[in-house]
Amino acid sequence: MSLLRQCLQRVPSLRPFKTNVCKTSIRWASTEDSDVKPETRPTVRKPDLVIRSQLKDFGKYVAECLPKYIQTVQITAGDELELLIAPEGVLPVLQFLKDHHNAQYSNLSDIAGMDVPNRECRFEIIYNLLSLRFNSRIRVKTYTDELTPIESCDGIYKAANWYEREIWDMFGVFFSNHPDLRRILTDYGFEGHPFRRDFPLSGYVEVRYDDERKRVVLEPLELAQEFRKFDLSAPWEQFPNFRNVLPASEPVKPDSEKK
Amino acid sequence: MAGVSTKITTGLTGLAVAKHPHHVLGVLYGKILRTLQKMPESAAYRKYTEEVINERSQILKANQDITVVEKQIGCGQIEEVIVQAENELLLARKMLDWKPWEPLIKQPPPNQWTWPPAQPQPQGK
Repeated sequence: MSLLRQCLQRVPSLRPFKTNVCKTSIRWASTEDSDVKPETRPTVRKPDLVIRSQLKDFGKYVAECLPKYIQTVQITAGDELELLIAPEGVLPVLQFLKDHHNAQYSNLSDIAGMDVPNRECRFEIIYNLLSLRFNSRIRVKTYTDELTPIESCDGIYKAANWYEREIWDMFGVFFSNHPDLRRILTDYGFEGHPFRRDFPLSGYVEVRYDDERKRVVLEPLELAQEFRKFDLSAPWEQFPNFRNVLPASEPVKPDSEKK
Repeated sequence: MAGVSTKITTGLTGLAVAKHPHHVLGVLYGKILRTLQKMPESAAYRKYTEEVINERSQILKANQDITVVEKQIGCGQIEEVIVQAENELLLARKMLDWKPWEPLIKQPPPNQWTWPPAQPQPQGK
């Protein structure tokens, strides 16, 4: 994606700017003036401040339109817009992003999952959307625990069918109203959800050829040791150069809060 | 002759040339505006969508020539603009059920969105 973006920046005619569009098309507007010192180091990626402020404005716009569901809007990795939403808002937010005139994110690129076991709601579900009309991407994140189902967005994006089956298979997150929620990646009769942090690396069963019985047998694996929790902290500082590194994400506050 | 389309194809798979784009779009925009009127005045979604729709319908009414309309709206061919209006209408009708202008439905659990993840507090402290 970043390669594509760099190519786009090389070709001036393909830059996502337009001049002769409606006044109400907020997607090309930019409210912030950029007085940040330009990046000069050759090996560091140069942020595109115009695109960035367009994304910020769009984040504020979505948060203003859907205050019921959007908890936080943030920018990560310099120029990637993220919406953090309550799990009840999956369908409204995705439908808004797909169908609204100023959004038109008609393509669901991917649905990803993430497991952080020490959180109260341990799973994050991450939707990556692409707008072909405005050449922009957005990421929508929500959360759930092992038991709470997430509303399936198969009715909005047909692509979600298999992606949600993958999440169900790998993480065990249940999607309600999914038309066909089966395992998709693992073998017949597989038990467990391999991407969970508490799933052992070797799995619970092993498959081998038994010479006496002349066939492949499936046997429970003897785990060499019990589940252990490692304390990985060291007495010395491991990355002193990264002591003052920028935070992973930058929140986008609505205008009324800032003033 | 103005108003009669000589266009053969949109060049997009599955998208047929619209025969009466002015009529179709006018009806769609009227439906959208009527749906939006059922929402509260203060809803940001209603405000912004009305702005977009009003501007587009003004452009549509002011110009008979479709190519001029397409150019002034600046959002693709007129057939794509019709599809966008259809989508917006469906969305607006669903929004009436969802009521997204209400205040936040619930706060996230503590430390849900912190990254790197917050470390668990030791027991007994």
